[in-house]
Amino acid sequence: MDRWAAALRLTGVGFFVAACILGGVLAGLWIDNKLDTRPLFILLGLAVGLAVAFYGVYRMIQPVINNKQDKENGQ
Amino acid sequence: MTEPKKRRGCLGCSFPILIIILVIFLALTIVGFLSGAIGQEMLQKYGIDITFPSWMTIEKPAPHLPAPELFHVLGLPITNTMIASWITVIVLVIISVIVTRRMKIVPGRLQTLFEALLGWLFDLCKSIAGDANGRRFFPVIATIFLFVFLNAWLSLIPGFGSIETKEYALIPEDAHIETIPAEGNQPEHKVVLIDHKEYEIVDVDGKEMMEKRNELIRGANTDVNTTMALAVISFIFVAYFGFKTLGISWLRQYFNFGPFFRSLGKAFKGKLDFMGIFSGAIDIFVGFLELLGRFITIISFTFRLFGNMTAGEILLLITAFLIPYILALPFYGLELLIGAIQAFIFAGLTLVFVTMAVTPHSEESH
Repeated sequence: MDRWAAALRLTGVGFFVAACILGGVLAGLWIDNKLDTRPLFILLGLAVGLAVAFYGVYRMIQPVINNKQDKENGQ
Repeated sequence: MTEPKKRRGCLGCSFPILIIILVIFLALTIVGFLSGAIGQEMLQKYGIDITFPSWMTIEKPAPHLPAPELFHVLGLPITNTMIASWITVIVLVIISVIVTRRMKIVPGRLQTLFEALLGWLFDLCKSIAGDANGRRFFPVIATIFLFVFLNAWLSLIPGFGSIETKEYALIPEDAHIETIPAEGNQPEHKVVLIDHKEYEIVDVDGKEMMEKRNELIRGANTDVNTTMALAVISFIFVAYFGFKTLGISWLRQYFNFGPFFRSLGKAFKGKLDFMGIFSGAIDIFVGFLELLGRFITIISFTFRLFGNMTAGEILLLITAFLIPYILALPFYGLELLIGAIQAFIFAGLTLVFVTMAVTPHSEESH
């Protein structure tokens, strides 16, 4: 894979993780404030945010890992 | 033929000119340092009292995150960042007209510059998305890159953030008024605090009014609305090409109910397939995660650009306040670099995501 493509994929990871966690927690906080169920949805939002973050990062770096493995197998 | 006489000098200047430039440079550095906030504090500490004229000192910066509304057109608020983005669009149109009006086989300087820049972007598109797709994506990717890039660089031109509009308004009755004691060049004055924002109270025709000062133009990337609009455009672009290329199977990445219901259907026919139901449920969950991830990408795109650009602008304001003139210049250089990098990242990530969207899932993992 092109070096630029690999670099760009990795550049996107940091803010994506932060946005997932913050987005999850803030959405949870908003629902909790509406329904008065604090801290149920904050924790749920955090869990979903983390899950999305892990899965998203895996999907983003998957081609980089595959490429590395392909190279190692080729050698 | 006689050889031209070699002139003595350095960096293309003769020695006397170089010395004059160096002296001016040094004088500006020292004066800048002393007139800045750090220098003033040091002078006060050692009991030296040098008062610089007010045009040499820089006011304490008070950056505001939301872009102020300058006026309304047909009920729509027009902010200073919108004006900056229009300027960017006009500059882009003018540049493209000038560059493409008289294209030559042997290009001139400007044509060479843009051919090199766009050629590099075109090669990047082709190397990441492949030949055919790279051609399809290039116009949008290049537009995003040029817009973000020019927004960032234009906002460093003097005039952005330094030209102010003044507006006088009546002081609300319940407003909190504070008296600021005299300090340095500034005499004692009154301010009113509304929504954490300070407005100076001035005398207009014998009446006390609050003075609203707003920057006329501010870098468009420092407004979260601009960056979010760009992120939404990038999202729609990715979704459009994903759907156009893969059709329904693109949607199946997000709403993958098929395997689950098929296994459930088998169970009703008497063939209980626990593993099928379980993996079907996992598919639905993974699709849900993927869908959420798509929307979160908008947020991460928005705040990456907004955060970097706003932080850069605040950094410049503060360095210009602490150590004006020469010593603040390296930070301008840094901002030039950051503007180019952020434009590249925004356009490049859009390209990576659209390439992911047009590549079938099964093909990508192998």
